[in-house]
Amino acid sequence: MEIRNTPRRILYLYWRLYSQQLKAMLEYSADFYIMIGAAALTQITGFLFLWVVFSRIPDIQGWGLWEVAFMYAAIYVSEGVGSLFFEGTWRMLRLVNLGELDRYLVRPVPIVLQIFCTGIGMNGIGNILIGGTIIGISLSHVQMDWNLSMVLMAILLFVSAITIRIAINLAANCSSFWIRSSGNAFPIMIHNLGEFAKYPITIFSLGLQLFISIVVPFAFVSFFPAAVLFGKEPWSWWGWFGPLVAVCAVWLSLGLLRVGLGKYESAGN
Amino acid sequence: MKVSVASFKKYITLALCSMQNTLAYRLSFILNFLASFIGLIAMYCLWQAVYTGRDQLSGFTWEQMQAYLLVTFFVNSMLSYYSESSISGKIIDGSVMMDLLRPIQFQKARLAETLGSCVLEGLLSCILIGTAAVFTLGISLPQDGVGMLQFGISMLSSIFVKFCIVYMSALLCFWTTSSFGIYWARTSITNLLSGALVPLTFFPGWLESLAMALPFQGIVNTPVRIALGMTGRAEAWQMIGVQWIWIILLWLLGRWLWSRAVRQITIHGG
Amino acid sequence: MSIIEARGLKKVFKQAIKDPGLGGAIKHLFTQQYREKYAVEGIDLTIEEGETVAYVGPNGAGKSTTIKMLCGVLIPSGGEILVDGRVPHKQRMENAQHIGAVFGQRTQLWWDIPVRESLTLLRDIYQVPPAAFKKNLDGFTELLGMESFLHLSARKLSLGQRMRADLAAALLHDPKIVYLDEPTIGLDVAVKHRIRDFIKEMNREKGTTMMLTTHDLGDIENLCERLVIIDQGRIIYDGKLQEVKDAFARERTIHTQLSAPIVGAEELFADMPEVTVESRDGDEEKGDSIPSLSIKFDRFRCTASEIVKRVMNHGEVVDFRIDEPSIEEIITRVYEGQLDSAALSEAGKGRE
Repeated sequence: MEIRNTPRRILYLYWRLYSQQLKAMLEYSADFYIMIGAAALTQITGFLFLWVVFSRIPDIQGWGLWEVAFMYAAIYVSEGVGSLFFEGTWRMLRLVNLGELDRYLVRPVPIVLQIFCTGIGMNGIGNILIGGTIIGISLSHVQMDWNLSMVLMAILLFVSAITIRIAINLAANCSSFWIRSSGNAFPIMIHNLGEFAKYPITIFSLGLQLFISIVVPFAFVSFFPAAVLFGKEPWSWWGWFGPLVAVCAVWLSLGLLRVGLGKYESAGN
Repeated sequence: MKVSVASFKKYITLALCSMQNTLAYRLSFILNFLASFIGLIAMYCLWQAVYTGRDQLSGFTWEQMQAYLLVTFFVNSMLSYYSESSISGKIIDGSVMMDLLRPIQFQKARLAETLGSCVLEGLLSCILIGTAAVFTLGISLPQDGVGMLQFGISMLSSIFVKFCIVYMSALLCFWTTSSFGIYWARTSITNLLSGALVPLTFFPGWLESLAMALPFQGIVNTPVRIALGMTGRAEAWQMIGVQWIWIILLWLLGRWLWSRAVRQITIHGG
Repeated sequence: MSIIEARGLKKVFKQAIKDPGLGGAIKHLFTQQYREKYAVEGIDLTIEEGETVAYVGPNGAGKSTTIKMLCGVLIPSGGEILVDGRVPHKQRMENAQHIGAVFGQRTQLWWDIPVRESLTLLRDIYQVPPAAFKKNLDGFTELLGMESFLHLSARKLSLGQRMRADLAAALLHDPKIVYLDEPTIGLDVAVKHRIRDFIKEMNREKGTTMMLTTHDLGDIENLCERLVIIDQGRIIYDGKLQEVKDAFARERTIHTQLSAPIVGAEELFADMPEVTVESRDGDEEKGDSIPSLSIKFDRFRCTASEIVKRVMNHGEVVDFRIDEPSIEEIITRVYEGQLDSAALSEAGKGRE
């Protein structure tokens, strides 16, 4: 009997691998709560920082506290979704260095799916909860006319933003195939580029703006969706490229993974 | 007397070993450093936008804020994640058992190692800061000898304060199976309350008083304010005094926590 | 068509050339010089369905690299592979359905979840029909004696238990081919036997093709009729185990214990130059009171009875035993370069 990797099978396997991993995680409940709490704390202090700054000034280049808070939270929520459901990308260095990809490669399951399910970052829950709350409050503070098309559009932008973020994580961690030193900080460096997308990107030089819009498109995770939702001209128009950027990012990161797997040397050589 | 010299020497050796180790991982070390440099650039641009059309905010001019950011980055990059994770890593992977077998004090040994790698971290960040300073002119650092001396002492004390806090948070790993959660929690609290995110004078009154009553302000606030010449001489000595009160208190607290933590090893079953 | 066919298979790894010290590391950042290291250097290998093949060689000979290329884990630098009509690294997913693999040093199981759950996960991954799954699980549990640890997570298993669970995991979906990389490494004798019996049983009952790398010569003698020896990335012998033995294990040693020392024992076989004699008089002080005689001879030149008869003519033999060199000694000699590959392949071909 030939196995076909239909979307249904992929989803089912994701669920099976994920839920098993989750069961194992729940054994260490202390860690579980510490991770959630720590992530929530990080976000709350981050928000406090914004709040302190905005208590001294009314706006930054026309963006108010809640508009910036929205972008800030968008970065964290996307990070949270990444940790909670796709944490395995961050384990790639280990998988490559210790030759653990061997066992993934001998199974009839797409490699990327197995990588995603290698771990679960409980901190994601803290990020999603606090980030989601901040996004909710932000949206209620900003004058907007909600209707069905607006909601659908927001969902589309949200899904694209998350997809872009995961693709960036995956691509950054593919560096493990090339930089194999045990403390490869390259993915962290890429991750930190997200810092630039927590604020209106107009505060940066043009080169930097282009960099985080095109090369490492963090701006499509936070800034451009925010511009669309809050009707910030002339940026809102660009927001519509979000889904296209998401498709490209996924395609490129999967390509990078494929090239990386060609470089894979297993362990012990 | 002989004994104490010999016992001091082994800690020097540990510090030198740690320095070599740092060198061995130089590529990842530098990448890590650059990763945190990204945060500095983002903050710099943010503050630049904030200061557009303003002369000063909460007693800080734009020039002072630039200096604040640079000195904060310098202070924060001392004792980086790299040193921190080497302490918690020992506990998580169980190699702490090996340290128990040796005639050295865990706390002193880790301090020695941390100071060892701090020398290199300091050097690297001096180079980066120096480069950055070239592009941001008009930074006012203390001109006179006493001011420099005070800054130097407060800087060194800041490392000790941070070490004590980092050490204790690392010991908490005896009760967990991963160090990340504790590291994140520690970092976010330290960043907020030390003044690394934003000068403490920006805080509303109650939060500022709270921060000043805690040890964290000794890590960033004290050396940076002294560096920017925002304190009188007498006040500077006083702040250094406060740093040392905290160092002694936290050091003792660390020893107490260690004695509790070691019991945890037997619970883990080794 | 054979089930595994490899022709001119090669794998090159790049090794960074770094000068020592800080200067060297900085230089390397810019120059990026590499040396090419051939792990596998042009291997031709054909394995028929249902065969059990031992793939042996010293550490670093290229055994694991070959296996990993056949599995589709590593992409060959040159040459061709066809496993059951597929190119493993190109049709990785299809190939993976029909193979099982045990990498002895590393478990295939999920570290933190019970073995039984791991196996059901694998059932879903390989889409094993429920009836077949139940039959295999029950059968394996009994054959491998897994009942006592099915509920434990892999983390908590002993090495022997883990290896048995790994074997079950690799064979759960009735693969056509199973690759076993060091399946008995570090195990005690009882578990080794159990694992060997299981492998034999699977091969006999289901006709599963088995390819195993091992350092354990007991594995080879017990499991495999065919032996492939690889050294420095090249196959230096491929043939029947018995043929290697016949060609290189001609030497026999008879150890005899005597009631009294034979005077002039060394001269007993003076007429047969290829026979060597070692005699020991009983030495009270060393606690070795029985005099003995060890005679080494070529079993194709004279027979054991000739030797014993001659000794018995000169003294009373209390006890005796015959030693033949183990396959271990032969392979050790190959590793040490004492037997050249030409002689070996001669032995491999000649006597079909």
